[in-house]
Amino acid sequence: MGEVILTMKGIDKSFPGVHALDHVELEVKKGEVHALMGENGAGKSTLMKVLTGIYKKDEGTITYEGKEVEFTNPKEAQEAGVMIVHQELNMLSHLTVAQNIFIGREKMSGKIINDSQMNKAARELFDKLNIDIDPTEQMGNLTVGKQQMCEIAKAISHESKVIVFDEPTAALTESEIEELFKIIRDLREKQLGIVYISHRMDEIKVITNRVTVMRDGGYVGTIDTETSTKEDIINMMVGRVIYEDPKTASNVPSGAPVVLEVKDLNAGKMVKNVSFKLHKGEILGFSGLMGAGRTETARAIFGADPIDSGEIFINGKKVNIKSPSDAVQNGIGYLSEDRKRFGIAVEKTVAENSTMASLDHFMKGIFIDKKKEADVAKKYVEQLKTKTPSVEQLVVNLSGGNQQKVVIAKWLVRDCEILIFDEPTRGIDVGAKSEIYHLMNELVKMGKSIIMISSEMTEILRMSDRVVVMCEGRKTGEMSIEEASQETIMHAATRREG
Amino acid sequence: MEKLKNNAFIKKVGFNRLVLFVVLLLMYGIFAILSPTFLSYNRILSALNYAYFLGFLALGVTFVIATGGIDFSIGPVMFCAALISGYLLTQNGLPLILCLLISILVGTLFGCLNGYLVAYWNLPSFITSMASMMLAKGIGSVFTKTQSVSWPQAVQENGEFRKLVKIMTSDGTQIPTGLVVLIIASVICAVILNKTKAGRYILCIGSNKEAVRLSGVNVKKWEMLAYVICGTLAGMAAIIFVGAYSTVQPGLGDTYNNEAIAGCVMGGTAMSGGTASIGGTFIGVLIIALLQEGILAMGFQKDWQYVITGLIVLVAVYANVRSHKRKN
Repeated sequence: MGEVILTMKGIDKSFPGVHALDHVELEVKKGEVHALMGENGAGKSTLMKVLTGIYKKDEGTITYEGKEVEFTNPKEAQEAGVMIVHQELNMLSHLTVAQNIFIGREKMSGKIINDSQMNKAARELFDKLNIDIDPTEQMGNLTVGKQQMCEIAKAISHESKVIVFDEPTAALTESEIEELFKIIRDLREKQLGIVYISHRMDEIKVITNRVTVMRDGGYVGTIDTETSTKEDIINMMVGRVIYEDPKTASNVPSGAPVVLEVKDLNAGKMVKNVSFKLHKGEILGFSGLMGAGRTETARAIFGADPIDSGEIFINGKKVNIKSPSDAVQNGIGYLSEDRKRFGIAVEKTVAENSTMASLDHFMKGIFIDKKKEADVAKKYVEQLKTKTPSVEQLVVNLSGGNQQKVVIAKWLVRDCEILIFDEPTRGIDVGAKSEIYHLMNELVKMGKSIIMISSEMTEILRMSDRVVVMCEGRKTGEMSIEEASQETIMHAATRREG
Repeated sequence: MEKLKNNAFIKKVGFNRLVLFVVLLLMYGIFAILSPTFLSYNRILSALNYAYFLGFLALGVTFVIATGGIDFSIGPVMFCAALISGYLLTQNGLPLILCLLISILVGTLFGCLNGYLVAYWNLPSFITSMASMMLAKGIGSVFTKTQSVSWPQAVQENGEFRKLVKIMTSDGTQIPTGLVVLIIASVICAVILNKTKAGRYILCIGSNKEAVRLSGVNVKKWEMLAYVICGTLAGMAAIIFVGAYSTVQPGLGDTYNNEAIAGCVMGGTAMSGGTASIGGTFIGVLIIALLQEGILAMGFQKDWQYVITGLIVLVAVYANVRSHKRKN
């Protein structure tokens, strides 16, 4: 490791209602791979966005190559030599590799784009990096791994001095990861400073020199990778904070019948051999890091995405769910994590959204019984304390928490026996949050069964009777609430093989 | 203005529709001032004749636009239906009632085709309806061996269907029954759109199809139904068209797409789907019909009519997109 190239000191950033970064520190040296770790929502991405000028910091200083800087947009950062390789690749699949690498700064002969010159430049670049890709190939024909290499090559062609990798291995195969590491080591040799964001503990040990850990927007500490253990890092990530009243014992009687059983479910790339049981009156927490395949599992069970193989039993009877319509017929309701896209019809009223899953019960001959519809909608507005002037209000005019309550009302009106709540409190204020917790507890008391997917550890520990942990599409842990702790869950959530 | 908007009566009718209605009256007044002949009963009847079939087309396409789709085939489908059924009536001597049913059936089949391809194969409605527009033109032309077809006059045998459009009393008074027919059709469409499950799902699909699907609704079926309704109404429009104008030529009909869609959009139906107004479509169609008659009455040529209609459509679409964007 050489001299310091980048220092972020006392970085503070607030959004309305959220203190996203609380005096965070980060120091990157030349010839170092510096891991940035933390749970979902710890503030890693926000910090990187402050670095590259996407967000403006409220306080603190950024020193780059000995001078204080403040980039106002990513382009400025790029020109100065600070570049992010994003998790989602920003590639145009119809263009060639070379065209992608030189996009926005095409090599020209007069007014005409000179493709052969770009191909030549790209080839030289690849040779320098020992990457074996044909620059004239169409980007869309490459594997995700190769595309990532191109993105890296692009970063280097900008003569970057600091490169940030945001979960670069999330979509890569084992051998592609090896190749990526070779390139990263090579960059380290060339005295670049590298920030490496990843959830994978094993990789951290293999590739990084130092680790900076963040938690809840705050800076926890920086340690040398070589002298620390996986446990040290996990402990830093979860902290020793005592959260409010986690559940200490399951509320489900030991003999409760199994209402839903999933056996060896496979669906796409993100659901691999998932099996679990859900008991009557149980809240089954699904924990894991971002991209662990929890939502995909839920969608597969609900029939929203096709299943490749596996069996689903409801009350002991095998069911064949091919569409959400089949799932609803079988008494399953799904509250999506992405309310706006999958939960509500925004230009429709509260009443219309509330009855969307059960309109058949509101028919009088061929006509919709609007009075009954309004009455039932009103009942749930009162029961869920939804803040809306009337049930005729368009849902678009409601706040996030109240929109969520409308979606919950939709499934309560349908009277589903099995409810899948996917991130039920995401983007919701504290008051509405505890109301939703209260409601879930009421529902299980009434004998409903709930699968709760949550990325918030406190939520999992507070609500669940049992916890299933997933990592990379596999179930990597299943524990009773007595066994579950931040440490045990985090261990399972970062385990690479199930 | 805010106070006006909150008035109970205005709220019930809808502020935008009221504005539209005022526009309609203003236009009528302007044309009447600029062209003295415009106030004659015959002029009004002529404008109404244009509004009848256009109204049926626009009512139908309102359902499709409500789902967030579009149908550019309605005009040619209307002509195709009129050509096939008219040919069977005049050349093959099939009974009138059967021919009228065949006309509706032809429209319905095109609606099924469009709806199936869009809903079940996920083809974009823009391209799909373009293709079926060409199909409709071609099939109509092939069926009649590129001959135009003239439906019987009111006094001739089999001409009684024209009573749907106009009744001539013994003393020569003309009664515009077509207006009554169009109003009845509009009321039925409004009931379907606002009071039935089909209408509810069609509107919800336009608002957020995926959310409706994830509510356990068979969205494909309902989305297809919107196109089927549209096609059926185009088949009915064919009957109304020949009731007013008798003669249909092969290979035409696409200008009516644009005018029907324009009427619909003017009426406040969002191009992005989710919100639709049958009452708005009704008034929008009257405006388009009045416009075309007014421009002719003022002595402008047909090409000027296109220019002016085009500009008005642009303004209407701009206002439409803006008002819906503001809401979100």
